[in-house]
Amino acid sequence: MQKLDLPERPDWRDKAADQGFTFADMHGEPYWDEASAYCFSLAEIEERIEDPATELHGLCREAVARVIGSEELLDRLEIPEAHRDYIAQSWQDGEPELYGRFDLVYDGDGPAKMLEYNADTPTSLYESAAFQWQWFEDQQALGVLREGDDQFNGIHEAIVERLGAMFAPETQLHFTALSGAPEDYATVEALGWAAREARLGAHYTDLEKIGVSEDGQFLDDEDRVIGTLFKLYPWEDLLRDDYAAHLATAQCRMIEPPWKAILSNKGILPVLWEMFEDHPNLLPAFFESDLTDPSPETAARLERASEAMARGHVLKPIFSREGASISIVEDGAVTETASNDGYAKHPRIAQAYHPLPVFAGFRPVIGAWIAGEHCAGIGIREDRGRITQDLSRFKPHFIRD
Amino acid sequence: MTKRSRTAALAIVGAASFALAGCREEPVEAQAFPDLESCRSAVGPTSLFSEQDCTDAFAEAETLHAETAPRYDSLAVCEEQYGEGNCGSEAQATGGGSGSIFMPLLAGYLIGNMLGGQRGLAAQPMYRNANGRFTTPAGGTTYANNTGRANLNPSTFNKAPVTAGKPPLTRATAASRGGFGGSKTGSGLRSFGG
Repeated sequence: MQKLDLPERPDWRDKAADQGFTFADMHGEPYWDEASAYCFSLAEIEERIEDPATELHGLCREAVARVIGSEELLDRLEIPEAHRDYIAQSWQDGEPELYGRFDLVYDGDGPAKMLEYNADTPTSLYESAAFQWQWFEDQQALGVLREGDDQFNGIHEAIVERLGAMFAPETQLHFTALSGAPEDYATVEALGWAAREARLGAHYTDLEKIGVSEDGQFLDDEDRVIGTLFKLYPWEDLLRDDYAAHLATAQCRMIEPPWKAILSNKGILPVLWEMFEDHPNLLPAFFESDLTDPSPETAARLERASEAMARGHVLKPIFSREGASISIVEDGAVTETASNDGYAKHPRIAQAYHPLPVFAGFRPVIGAWIAGEHCAGIGIREDRGRITQDLSRFKPHFIRD
Repeated sequence: MTKRSRTAALAIVGAASFALAGCREEPVEAQAFPDLESCRSAVGPTSLFSEQDCTDAFAEAETLHAETAPRYDSLAVCEEQYGEGNCGSEAQATGGGSGSIFMPLLAGYLIGNMLGGQRGLAAQPMYRNANGRFTTPAGGTTYANNTGRANLNPSTFNKAPVTAGKPPLTRATAASRGGFGGSKTGSGLRSFGG
C-alpha cells in the first residue's frame, strides 16, 4: 500500500458537474481529491481486504443469529421490544441483504482490522462505484495509469446482480431518503441505476412524504402502494418513528431487511469479540458498562485484552454515524473527542484503539463494499484527524503489481 | 481477469427525474382515439399514423389492457374509481378470466410516436374515471378527452405493473402522511448515511 501523487484529470470538475456530482467540493474543501491515489498489489487487495471482508460479513451473520436469540443482548442493543418479532421474522425468513460497507484500518502491514460495519445505510456508493471507476478509465486512457493496472471495483455490477437475484424482473422498487441531503441522494440514485439495469422499476419518494393508507400500507407521494422500499434511513430511527407501528403489517418488503438493525448497531462489536475472540481482523471490544461491572466470563476476556484496552480505546455510542460522539481514551485520559455529539445520550461500547496509518498527513480508512454476502470493491476516505468525520476526503485507488 | 465493473458510468440526475434517469426525455407526439374505427378514419395526408399503425396500436393496447388494467375485488370498488357502468368482470374483459375480479372497460387508446426511441410506435389503453376524465393503467395523469393530439411525457407509455394473475388490489388513499423521518436517535446531522 502506497500513496502516489498523480496529475489530476484536467476536466474532472466539469465531469463531476455534468454527472451531477455536486458535492465533489463541500464547505469550500475538496471532497473528491485525485491529486494523489492509493496503490495496492493484487495480493494485498485479495488476501488482506477482499477475503477478510467477505469473511467478516459471514461472522456478522452468525452474530445476528446470536443476538436475535438473546433478550439480554437485544436489550443491550436497545432494540425496541415491540419490534423484536418483526426483526426475528425477517431473519428466519432469510430475507436477503443488499449491501453494506466495512470500515477497515489497514496500513500495508499486518491484517486489516474492522472498525465498524455500516451495514444499513452506507453512503459514498456513487463516488466508489462510479466516479472512482471513471477516474480509473480516464487515467488509463490518458496514460497516467498503465495498461496492466486495475482497480478493485466491481461494486456496481455486483449490486446489479444482487438486485436481479432478489427480485423478479419488472418488480417495482421504491427508493427513499430524507430530502435535502445530496450525498445520501447520490447513493440512492446509484442504487436506482443498478435496479434499472437489473430490469426492475425504480421510483423515488422523499421519506417525509411517505403516507399510510387506510389499510395500513405505505404510499409514495403519488398515493401508489409501496411494495418494496429501499430506505437510506437507519433502522434505529425507523423503529422509533410514528409509522413504526405499521412496519410489521404494511406488507412492504424493506431493504435493508429489518435484521440489519442488529448489524448497524455498534453493540455488534463486543458480541463479535465475545464469539470470535482473537480473530485477526477484529479488535477487542466491550460494552462500556462491562468495563466496570463485568460478569466473570467477561472479566476473564477483559483481562486478556487489558493491555490493549489500557493503551488506548475508543468509546462509541451504539448508534452513531460519521464519527459523531466518539472519544479516544489513552492511558486513562480522553485525548480526542468528535466535534458533533448528537448521539451522546446512548450507551457506548469501548473498542481497542488501533491508530489509522498516516500517509502524507492524512489517515485513510478503507471502505470495503459488500454486495450480498461478498466483498466487491473498495472506496477510501481520509481525514487529517484521528476520527474520520463527515468532512473527510474521498481518494481513488488502483492495483499495480 | 479484471477486478472492476465492465461499465459503471452513472450520473446523478436529481429526484424529479428519478424514474427517467439515463436519457434526456423528449416529449412524444401522441393522439387519443375512442376506438379503432375513429383512428382509421382520421388517417390522411397530415395524420401522424397510418391505418396499419392504428391496427397495431389498438392490438397492443388490448394486450396491455388484459395484462395491466387495475383489478379490484368487487364491482363497487372498481366503479368508485371509474364511474358507474365503466367496469366489468375479468371474465368479460379478457375471456377466461375470473368472474369475481373487476377491471375498467376499455374506453379508448393512446398512440404515441416514440421519435428517436427504439420502440417506434407505442400504445396504452385508456379508461374513463369517476370524474368523467380519462386515464391509463398506471394512473397518475388524467386527460380531459379520449380524442385529440398532445405532446406527452414518454413515461406515459411505460408499461404499468402487471396485474393479471395477481391478487386484486384497491388503490389506496392516504389516511396520514409524514410519520417517517423523526430521526429520534441522533440530532444535528445533515446526512443519514455513514
